[in-house]
Amino acid sequence: MMQQEPLVRLLGVTKKISSKVLVDNVTFDIPPGQIFGFLGPNGAGKTTTIRMMVGLMSITEGDIVIGGYSIRSHYEQAAALIGAIVENPEMYKYLSGYNNLKHFARMMPGISEERIREVVELVGLEHRIHDKVQTYSLGMRQRLGVAQALLHRPKLLILDEPTNGLDPQGIRELRDYLRRLTREEGTTVFVSSHLLSEMELMCDRVGIIRHGRLIDIRQLRSADGQRTAEETAFTVHDASAAAALLQSFGAKTEGNRVIVRGNPETVADINALLVEAGIRVFAIQPVTESLEDQFLEMTGGDRHVE
Amino acid sequence: MWSSFPNLVANENMKIYFRVRTWIMLAILVFFSAAMPAMLYVTGAAMDAWTVFTWTESFTLYLSAIFTVVIAADIVAGEFAAGTIKLLLIRPLRRGKILMSKWVAVLLFILLCAVLTAVVGIALSQLFFAGTGGLGSGSGASSMVNSLLLLLTDTIQLVMIALVAFMLSTLFRSGSLAIGISLLVLFTKDLFGFMLNPDKYVWAKYILFLHIDLSGYIQSPIGPGGVSLSFSIFILAAYSLVFLLITWWAFAKRDVAA
Repeated sequence: MMQQEPLVRLLGVTKKISSKVLVDNVTFDIPPGQIFGFLGPNGAGKTTTIRMMVGLMSITEGDIVIGGYSIRSHYEQAAALIGAIVENPEMYKYLSGYNNLKHFARMMPGISEERIREVVELVGLEHRIHDKVQTYSLGMRQRLGVAQALLHRPKLLILDEPTNGLDPQGIRELRDYLRRLTREEGTTVFVSSHLLSEMELMCDRVGIIRHGRLIDIRQLRSADGQRTAEETAFTVHDASAAAALLQSFGAKTEGNRVIVRGNPETVADINALLVEAGIRVFAIQPVTESLEDQFLEMTGGDRHVE
Repeated sequence: MWSSFPNLVANENMKIYFRVRTWIMLAILVFFSAAMPAMLYVTGAAMDAWTVFTWTESFTLYLSAIFTVVIAADIVAGEFAAGTIKLLLIRPLRRGKILMSKWVAVLLFILLCAVLTAVVGIALSQLFFAGTGGLGSGSGASSMVNSLLLLLTDTIQLVMIALVAFMLSTLFRSGSLAIGISLLVLFTKDLFGFMLNPDKYVWAKYILFLHIDLSGYIQSPIGPGGVSLSFSIFILAAYSLVFLLITWWAFAKRDVAA
């Protein structure tokens, strides 16, 4: 895979309020065109991190760089690349959906009436756009929120808990829509959520945060959109012999199974090795541990806010 | 880059004038600007038209003050209350610019109140009292000048009270306390002038309360504690600058959390 300059860089980002550390030295990169999930229990520091990314909160230590521009020193240039919904998409209820969009369009250069119509169509609000927002359902407000975030064709779309309040149909639409955005416009998407199953379906990669610390980053999908099988189990007649043979691959045994971490290429190579060594292979299976299991394992099953 | 500034002011105006509340307030203001001359006519008061307008304006000042304070206190705090502040502040614009556009929108609202009062009040006063003399001050011309000067000094009062409301609501991020305190300032400033008499205390002449109402200078060039008009204007300008700086700090430098 070609290494691209990351669109988003978090460099040792820390947020302290008085002596309380809300976000603790978080560092990660997001390459362009990815859907990156930010996963963690409530109160883990997800929203605080997002608020720092969009300039709503100051950064105590470290820096956030968007498209080469530091949020600290070049806020205007960095913010021009971002479209976001922070928490609920709260719009001006006494204005129509259209006037809300016009309001935000006026705050950014080069957004035509044509573009406003385009995003309205994109989120499917064309029949209700001239009604006041106070008459909208939660799902419609969510879609209007997405529309305002996309007005200026941002390079980075940040969505904080985007599936909140959406019905399964709406979640599905959002997912398909985000995929299309990354594919067709090359938009990078940063979504936060505490819904694990949702993240598994939506994201290429997830960062897991707990108590303000980034505890792991997992690749869920390879570049071509295939889900990566991280571990593969070989069921063999002599597990200890196989394990000895595959020592260099970091194999571990589990009953009559040998578990190896690696991509499909490695799996094929290992199979050849085993067969050559005269070890009988009964089955080769990907170990699909769901993200939820991993998440619970990593966060120690602790899902309460402390 | 200030090219976006007119757009920002247009946004703030849209948020003020697309609300029913604003039109109710303006309707009340127009109603009383018209009703006062009419009532004075019905009671058969023997006054000249400009005195009638002065009376009208002195009354509608309090209405304008209440409405202005509501608008000024809501323009920042309302965004926090509704949560829209988050979508507003993630735009590629400095926060100071957004804040200034809000203050300009408040000034425009004050101007609108003054113009409505003047147009409706003067028209109705002239309609009912044209050519009548009697109780009133001196010649027609000086009466007119004094009346219009009072409108000017009262509008300056509105600006100062609105700035207090604007500052407090930005500091507290809540409108109600700001509305209460700034109206309290309007109604008790004379009391402060009485308690902290600048004839007794030298430092008292630097207190804002004594200078909010400049109408005393229409009659006499000597202000509270023997100061001049230019001294009062300097005090008002200095306080305005400090208040705007505090407001800017509260708006641009603080975190926006839940």
